Amino acid sequence: MVRYQLILKFVLGLLFVMFAGFAHADEANLSWSQLSEDQQKVLNPLSSEWDSLRPWQREKMLDIARDYPKMSPQKQERVKNRLSNWSRMTPYERENARKKHQRFKGLPDDKKQALREKWHKYQSLSEAERAKLRAESPDTYGDSAFE
Amino acid sequence: MSWYRDNMTHKKNDDLSADDIVADEMVEQQIARHMADLLNDGAQRLMPHQEQRLLLARDAAVSYLAERQAQLQYGNGHVRQGNVLRWFGDRFGQQHRMTSAALVILVMLLTLFAVQQFEWNSNLENSDAFLLASDLPPEAYADKGFDAWLDTN
Repeated sequence: MVRYQLILKFVLGLLFVMFAGFAHADEANLSWSQLSEDQQKVLNPLSSEWDSLRPWQREKMLDIARDYPKMSPQKQERVKNRLSNWSRMTPYERENARKKHQRFKGLPDDKKQALREKWHKYQSLSEAERAKLRAESPDTYGDSAFE
Repeated sequence: MSWYRDNMTHKKNDDLSADDIVADEMVEQQIARHMADLLNDGAQRLMPHQEQRLLLARDAAVSYLAERQAQLQYGNGHVRQGNVLRWFGDRFGQQHRMTSAALVILVMLLTLFAVQQFEWNSNLENSDAFLLASDLPPEAYADKGFDAWLDTN
């Protein structure tokens, strides 16, 4: 009797988890017009390309829309400005960006500040110089500055 | 005994008067006295080993009763014997199977809720939204040219 009760509880738990998983998967299949008003507001930079995004890409973007209201107005503005470029990055680039962002968060404040300044300096290089640097760089990402 | 049973069977379908009831009680008392006399007579003729066994049995019964009463008194005054649910009263103790099942489900739900909250909090700072809101833009993390330039600067 006790064993049957345990099995029943396990099955109920499993069904709950599966149901939650299916609900999340369904959300990723929504077209642009099916998104809520709040989601459309956040993901507006992606409106033209939303329907061509793959389900896993939509899922990630919906996660961003979900976390957006928890941010300060300044950070919300940053997200909106960067969303479009982010959606155009390859999965490989995004994964590397995530890893480096994690490392960046772990840096002491002075190193963070130094990296910010260097990024601004790098931005002041001409597009041709930056393209040359990219072309000369190997395909693998180095991360010495983020450690 | 047989004469009494016959007598009662004979009267079974008749209405019993007050005199009959008094007479029955007297008969019962006579029977009881007769049984007590028989037991007393028997007790006079008991062998020593039989007396010893009876004494031991009596002691065992009395000590069991005393122990049981002590347990009940302790249970009423302090912590109840049995499962933990009885601390909340006899009602929970009696329905302990259902209550324990409900408690297990409650604990599972609370655990699930706590785990989700923990994951939600830990994912919060790790989600892509916070990467996009970071001090550095995502291009800074993904630009191979910036990496190469950092190595030389």
